[in-house]
Amino acid sequence: MRRAAAELALSAGVLALGAGAAVGTALLPSEGGYAGIGPNFFPGIVAAGLLILGVWLGFEALTGRWRRGDEARSTFDKTPFLWISAGLFAQMALVGPGGFVVAGTALFACVARGFGSRRVARDLAIGVALALGVFLFFTRFLNVSLPAGWLAPLLGGAGL
Amino acid sequence: MGAFDALLAGFSVAATPVNLLWCLIGVTLGTFVGVLPGVGPALTVAMLLPLTAKLDPTGALIMFAGIYYGAMFGGSTTTILLNTPGESASIVTALEGNRMAKAGRAGPALATAAIGSFVAGTIATVALTLVAPLVVELALKFGPAEYFALMVFAFTTVSAVLGTSTVRGLTSLALGLLLGLVGIDSQTGQPRFAFGIPELLDGIDVVVLAVGLFAVGEALYVAAYQRRLTGTLEKLSGSIWMSAEDWKRSWPAWLRATGIGFPFGTIPAGGSEIPTFLSYATERKLSKHPEEFGKGAIEGVAGPEAANNAASTGVLVPLLTLGIPTSATAAILLGAFQNYGLQPGPLLFETQSALVWGLIASLYIGNVILLVLNLPLIGLWVKVLSIPRDLLYAGILVFATLGAYSLHQSWVDLATLYVFGLLGFAMRRWDFPVGPAVIGLILGPLGETQFRRALSISQGDASVFITQPISAALLALTALVILVPWLIRRLK
Repeated sequence: MRRAAAELALSAGVLALGAGAAVGTALLPSEGGYAGIGPNFFPGIVAAGLLILGVWLGFEALTGRWRRGDEARSTFDKTPFLWISAGLFAQMALVGPGGFVVAGTALFACVARGFGSRRVARDLAIGVALALGVFLFFTRFLNVSLPAGWLAPLLGGAGL
Repeated sequence: MGAFDALLAGFSVAATPVNLLWCLIGVTLGTFVGVLPGVGPALTVAMLLPLTAKLDPTGALIMFAGIYYGAMFGGSTTTILLNTPGESASIVTALEGNRMAKAGRAGPALATAAIGSFVAGTIATVALTLVAPLVVELALKFGPAEYFALMVFAFTTVSAVLGTSTVRGLTSLALGLLLGLVGIDSQTGQPRFAFGIPELLDGIDVVVLAVGLFAVGEALYVAAYQRRLTGTLEKLSGSIWMSAEDWKRSWPAWLRATGIGFPFGTIPAGGSEIPTFLSYATERKLSKHPEEFGKGAIEGVAGPEAANNAASTGVLVPLLTLGIPTSATAAILLGAFQNYGLQPGPLLFETQSALVWGLIASLYIGNVILLVLNLPLIGLWVKVLSIPRDLLYAGILVFATLGAYSLHQSWVDLATLYVFGLLGFAMRRWDFPVGPAVIGLILGPLGETQFRRALSISQGDASVFITQPISAALLALTALVILVPWLIRRLK
């Protein structure tokens, strides 16, 4: 029973998503011109589908028909998971003020750390090289603008 | 204009120096990224999509076809040389190819995969050239009701019928459909599920979903569960050339596999998984050396690899002629078309004839370039395989987030990406297929549009879907593919 807790939680998540979609659908207008159905028709079907699927998943979880993958045997290693998440959050926070190169380097170093690297200096160096290379390639060669941020004085007018 | 004239016109587009260059860049990048362990064709295409943001559509799509093909070729190098734990069971090539490599026959295994992919890819492209105009002719008779019925059929097969669990396949599809609703309703301009966030009003981009599920989700999963498992990389020693015996055993397998792969690719059967498996089973049955299977039989590499490529080309038939993606990778390719305001389908063959036929012609060229890239230059790709895993995933994530960020230059897209990463992690962990979500995101809005158009034409009369013969037949077929397996299970 305890083993099905995660599966039940997922089923509840699907149910909650369905309920949220149903509420969102109820707020949409329904008038639909010639078709007789409006912009709320499909959202209604999807919401109903999610609610049914949530119940169905819950049923499978309780009756033990949810086949478990190999992971059930190995344990969840939370440190690398958190390092990668931290890297992505660092990038979200840094990309605006710090620019693409700074944010990309932070992400690179955090993910490498998450995968077990202990060589911080090497990771930062490779991260800078990769992010800078990508930055220059996109801004100079492909004309896609990326923020230069704190490095703007060094990178010139390459970015935003 | 016959298919042959159209193709000749296509070659005059594809063979211009600049388009040849895009094709070369595409196949090279596709092979490079496809070789990276843990990066499949879908992620390869999604990660490289931002590269084409500022290109003209013809060049960009030619490059994309190259990336798509290159990713297939590159992937086979990885499965043969690197025994990736946890993944080998799903890829049949790994069964035989990796055994061959372990026995010191990596060269012939890579050669039969590359030449087989070339042969199958080329024959399948000829088939595509011949079949596409016929499907276009049929598709021109399709109205909104028929399109909607066809999409229902595709939805059903990719989510409910294929895969291990109906309910999890459908849940994945429903998530994709829900995400597809986010943004401005194309019929009325009504914003839906956008919560007033400007980045969401544009809708969820397929790149963000695909990269979130395949790159971020995969990285989180591998780090949390498989960090200590490392693959063993086989050495490429000895000649890469095949012996006369190898040739004799390979070519019938290539041809049979092409015959299996192409038709399977054209129907909504979820891409290349089923045909590669069928080809493997066929070769094992027909082989004069059945005792070698499981120990490194060359037919077991030649067949599945050729089937994989033939099916990938087959997938382009419904994608180009009907605008229906039948695999996650095809859904992302459709997203690439949409970025240019192009909607694949029968009309595209008329309005953008040069682009479509240029694209098909570039497939022939791309196949030749790939053969050259993969045989003499194989040593280069083997080096790519030795990139340590920490740096590999770090690099993948930097590139993956770039694609999402470059959409609006906004951190909101990065946050969305992370949410999809968590979703992808959970789906991988609890065994939900990811493909239906990506297909649902792309196909959902198209299905809704066709449904509402059909009802507009019939003045709200819903019987239009069952009174039109083609639509009724498709819906009946859908009911059959659901009911027949269920009945068989009941009767057993």
